[in-house]
Amino acid sequence: MANYLAQFQTVKTSCDRIVAAVEDVSDLWPTVKGLFEEHQPLKRAFLTNRTRNPVLVENLPVEFILTTDARLRSRSPQEQYLFWFREPYATIVLVTCEDLDEFKNILKPRLKLIVQNDEREWFIVFVSKVHPSNDQATKSVKKVYAKLEVDFSSKKRERCCKLDIHGPNAHFWEDLELKITECIRNTLDRRVLFYEDEIRKLTEQRFMPIWNFCNFFILKESLAFIFEMAHLHEDALREYDELELCYLETVNMLGKQREFGGFDSEDDQATLLKPGSKPLTQIVQDDSFREFDFRQYLFACQSRLLFKLNRPSEVSSRGYSFVISFAKALTLHESVLPFCLREVWVITACLALLDATASHHHDGIVAPNIEKELYRLQGDLYSLARVKFMRLGYLIGYGTDIEKSPLNSACLSMLPWPKPAVWPSLPPDASSEVLEKEKTILQATSRTKHFGIQRKPLPLEPSVLLRVANRRRASLSTGNIPEIFDGRTGFTEGSGLEASPRTPSSRKVQAPPMSRTNSSPGNFESPLDRPMRLAEIFVAAEHALRLTISDHDLLKALSSTQDFEHKYLNLTKGAAENYHRSWWKRHGVVLDGEIAAVCFKHGKYDLAANSYEKVCALYAGERWQDLLAEVLPNLAECQKNLNDHAGYMSSCVRLLSLDKGLFSPKERQAFQIEVVNLAHSEMENPVPLDVSSLITFSGSTGPPLQLCDGDPGTLLVTVWSGFPDDITLDSLSLTLVATNNTDEGGQALKSSAATVLKPGRNTITFDLPPQKPGSYVLGVVTGQIGRLRFRSHSFSKGGPADTDDFMSYEKPTRPILKVSKPRALVDLASAVSSALLINEAQWIGIIVHPINYSLKGAILHIDTGPGLKIEDSYGIEMERYVEIDCDAGASKAEVSVEDSPVSPKQDSEVLNLCDGKIVFSEWASNVSSILWVPVRALSEKLARGSSSVTPLKQDILEGMRTVALKLEFGMHHNQIFERTVAAHFTDPFDVTTRVVNKCNDGTMVLQVMLHSLVKVNLIVLDAWLDLQEGFVHGKSEGRPTSTFFPLVVSPGSRAAVVFSISLEKTMSSGKDLQLPESILNIKYEINGDRAAGAHKPVDADHSGSDSERRALVFKSAIVLQRPVLDPCLTVGFLQLPSDGLRVGKLITIQWRVERLKELKGSEAVEQQHDEVLYEVNANSENWMIAGRKRGHVSLSEEKGSRVVISILCVPLVAGYVRPPQLSLPNVEEENVRSNPPGPHLVCVLPPLLSSSYCVPVK
Amino acid sequence: MIVCVAVVGHQNNPLYIQSFTEAEDALKLHHIVHCSLDVIDERVNNPSKSGTTMNEAFLGLLYPALNYKVYGYLTNTKVKFIMVTSDLDVRDTDVRSFFRKFHAAYVDAVSNPFHVPGKKITSRTFSESVTNIVSSYSFN
Repeated sequence: MANYLAQFQTVKTSCDRIVAAVEDVSDLWPTVKGLFEEHQPLKRAFLTNRTRNPVLVENLPVEFILTTDARLRSRSPQEQYLFWFREPYATIVLVTCEDLDEFKNILKPRLKLIVQNDEREWFIVFVSKVHPSNDQATKSVKKVYAKLEVDFSSKKRERCCKLDIHGPNAHFWEDLELKITECIRNTLDRRVLFYEDEIRKLTEQRFMPIWNFCNFFILKESLAFIFEMAHLHEDALREYDELELCYLETVNMLGKQREFGGFDSEDDQATLLKPGSKPLTQIVQDDSFREFDFRQYLFACQSRLLFKLNRPSEVSSRGYSFVISFAKALTLHESVLPFCLREVWVITACLALLDATASHHHDGIVAPNIEKELYRLQGDLYSLARVKFMRLGYLIGYGTDIEKSPLNSACLSMLPWPKPAVWPSLPPDASSEVLEKEKTILQATSRTKHFGIQRKPLPLEPSVLLRVANRRRASLSTGNIPEIFDGRTGFTEGSGLEASPRTPSSRKVQAPPMSRTNSSPGNFESPLDRPMRLAEIFVAAEHALRLTISDHDLLKALSSTQDFEHKYLNLTKGAAENYHRSWWKRHGVVLDGEIAAVCFKHGKYDLAANSYEKVCALYAGERWQDLLAEVLPNLAECQKNLNDHAGYMSSCVRLLSLDKGLFSPKERQAFQIEVVNLAHSEMENPVPLDVSSLITFSGSTGPPLQLCDGDPGTLLVTVWSGFPDDITLDSLSLTLVATNNTDEGGQALKSSAATVLKPGRNTITFDLPPQKPGSYVLGVVTGQIGRLRFRSHSFSKGGPADTDDFMSYEKPTRPILKVSKPRALVDLASAVSSALLINEAQWIGIIVHPINYSLKGAILHIDTGPGLKIEDSYGIEMERYVEIDCDAGASKAEVSVEDSPVSPKQDSEVLNLCDGKIVFSEWASNVSSILWVPVRALSEKLARGSSSVTPLKQDILEGMRTVALKLEFGMHHNQIFERTVAAHFTDPFDVTTRVVNKCNDGTMVLQVMLHSLVKVNLIVLDAWLDLQEGFVHGKSEGRPTSTFFPLVVSPGSRAAVVFSISLEKTMSSGKDLQLPESILNIKYEINGDRAAGAHKPVDADHSGSDSERRALVFKSAIVLQRPVLDPCLTVGFLQLPSDGLRVGKLITIQWRVERLKELKGSEAVEQQHDEVLYEVNANSENWMIAGRKRGHVSLSEEKGSRVVISILCVPLVAGYVRPPQLSLPNVEEENVRSNPPGPHLVCVLPPLLSSSYCVPVK
Repeated sequence: MIVCVAVVGHQNNPLYIQSFTEAEDALKLHHIVHCSLDVIDERVNNPSKSGTTMNEAFLGLLYPALNYKVYGYLTNTKVKFIMVTSDLDVRDTDVRSFFRKFHAAYVDAVSNPFHVPGKKITSRTFSESVTNIVSSYSFN
């Protein structure tokens, strides 16, 4: 059967669709052929799949072939059986007949003959050529067709259908399609069953020696082909899958080792998508196929079906695994295969898969998940090809062009070298090429990294190529090899590529890297004698590869560095783009980095920087610092070349903020120097930069700084510098953020001067201006270095920045500063509330009471009000004030303050007033103190005595003096407390006089009552009276009996002194000496404590001894009124109404003024004689007066003329009040008589109750 | 031979990475581990696609690479263990038991009250026990 392989192959290629045979009984085919073919393919066909389930196949093409056609006729029965899939699936019998007899006699027997073959699925198409207008004929045809149906159709199956050529046929075509489908389905079922049967039989014999894979293959593929023809691709695919499984089992069977294949020309190009690339007859071997070709063939068939099923992603995924597993198989046979065939095959396979899947895939058709998976697979294929391509490139000496990145190192250094049985040897005429290669090796200097970073390049090779290649050379005995490399540590460690030409070997072994003389052509004559040099290995590999590679594109890509790089870039870009579209973002970004490296090499810094930035962001975002440290310097260099100052500085700062172990101190210093240099260079614009990762800050440990409202302060902030060296900051400022109010940006505090940050911990002092009340946390540290404006958000918890989370800005929650709400910080109060002596130097006490606030260095401004002056000649005494009746807690506090070393045990001193202010001493800063200020209240007024006639008008304000105090305190005297303290000054006595007795001899006893007004004992030493005109002293010469003195007057008590006086009979001539009023002089002493009230005047204290002490003299004017001797006018108070006075009730008060005698005298001449000026005086608190209070009334000059002055009054208060008084200001008191005299007091009744607004209470 | 083991935090940040190769090429292993996070992400985000149920910590083979294999393991706390081996014939059961031991060592290390969760593991004991576990497994 295997012999039929070739035939099978041709049969398979020649037929590609289901065939329906047409038995043209009545020569109708030429007429209907066009119509039949028009209605192709079958729109909807229900077929049965392998698992006997109905499947809907759409657009199934069917080919109609006449049974008389050569294609069907010429087959022998065996052929038919073998290639059954190409036999017709249905037989359509075309008949026509218009005559019933003819049908019965001729046609029917013939038809019976045709359809008697059971194996065929058949049906009859009756074609009616009769025109519908021809009734006769139509009838007849109908009869014939009816007969036909009766004869050939059965109840089970309709086998007839009728085509009217001239009539409407819509129904017919549906019917035809159904019938064909039915036939196909039946045939298909039968054939599948048959094949499956056969296959089962063969499978059972599988482990018998006669078993032949080729037979199995033909059957299996036939079945697959049947399915494929019927568009049952899924089933066909399954057949191929089973076939592959079976093949892999047989191929791996022990004892059946066969030739692998892969030696044909162009075998290096993968044919895994080209099923017909090699005829199967070529790859057949004994009873099976060569693995190399056959597996590719199977995969090609599978992928063809998958593409038909529109599953390119599955092609990718199967393809990737296929490539991997096939590469393994190639590895097993590597020693016999051409040099690097595996690598080349993988590259071509990947590229072929990529092309095919890309062309079959259309975006958006499949689910996003599958699409992403497809892109990922594409990426995988690209990277696989990329790795293999790099490997080839390395083998022929392009290793220097490959970036030694972690990605490339991971790919290449874990990929073993090719292991040919014999390493290709140098072709004899390659000396010039070797020279050239050597030159490039020598020229290739490894690029030194920016900042002078020195890293051992990552390896790109799994082991030293030089050694591997030489070991595999047939001519060289392996024994020599270790000798060659002994002591050459460079080889075991890394890049053999770079180490070899430069590490001169001191050994006598003819080490090829030794000198250039070895490269002289003469030595090439016997290259087999000695180990090959690297350049020779490259050249040899290149030559060998040229033999292996048949693909022109690949050959070209490896022909020069530029081409290599071009291809390399293409592959990398392809991989990156596809990964970016898939889930595997990291892969994509990392590959971007590889593209960037190439761009970088060619000076396309902007492109490179873009990609590098992405890579850095990826690594930084996930804190892969080791990897970041590899890429970041490259980015920095790009940015430097692009003059991207901000980016460059940012990169330097990021470099600095990486783990310290990743860079040497020298390198870190280089970063810092770059930053500083750049910052101070002439950049156009200031560059803002976030250095949160490098400079962190925290408040001082311990409780937050507490400040009172309005106080400035100093804030200590710990700043951690990650710079390796000291760095000078032009400025440094800090913002505070209020915790209660996040809207405001916070206030910036500036550090005083240029700051030098040492590496590590620094304590920076910030001056804190007064802040609003609230608590504050640290916000942002900003600063400036040259043109660099940096800011840091990073808060460290009292340690250096944790490199682990250098991207996470943790907001400090602990307040650093608390500013309390405004409160009283100090209190100033008057120490004494009782009255002091007026016109005497008195101590006024001011208590200064700090309330939990230091008054250190406080300044008190003292500004006395009018009528008060400070006695400058005396110092201001300040002493500790201990409140006697304060509670126990407070006194304890005082004690503790005393104990503290801050306040020395000093508690009094004398301060001098300077420009109206005094400065507090240290000791007084925390304790309550009292200031004794010597003052003198000035009053020009003479004290006036009062009598029942002229009562004393008490004016509280008269003795009141004020002292305005302003205390400036706090750290910067920013706190100001102002208070005006009132002090009450008074005369020592209130004097009241009355005449207690009038003696017959004209002597009057004048009682002078002294009412002490101060809160201290007054000692009256002496009292005398200076009398006014009209009065003379009695016997005692104006003094009371001296034995009474000293008279002690207790506080608030009264004492009285009695004088005897008499009226002066004769008016004294020396009128000038006479006083207008009498003066009472009292000489007294005062013994008092200034803490209690009035006290000895300040100057008295200082006057020295007791004997010299000055007695105080109090003078008070007393009005003595002489009786009216010469009355001219009389004023009579008229009777008040009898019903009494009531509050609020209007009354009329009347006075009668009567002239007693005619007016004459000098003073009267000037005035109008017929008018009298009057004035009504009433206490406005008691009376409301309506009417003219003061005015002229006419009163004739004649004696006895009289006038009544009346005025309306309303009493305002109830009780005994003084009624309004009428006085005549223009008339001397002595000329006015009161008759009848007005009452001293009148009774005013309270107002009547008003019930208008009262609500009765129940 | 196991060439590298790594612990990766739930934010995909490396917590511990240790390579067991002679040459100074740890960086390439960093790269392999880092890139394998792509696979873990994909599996975790598309649980329906991967065969393993989410209840299982062992993620199986992440990479069908040519010359090394990467295995993953995901703890309940979303900490990933990644192991790179250069052996190509590895049985899943061996890897499973390796990860179980590794997980136990990890739990011991992070149970240290002085260890800050989410920070790099610096414990020397952990490093030693990891070395022990690694040396006890050679899959061939």
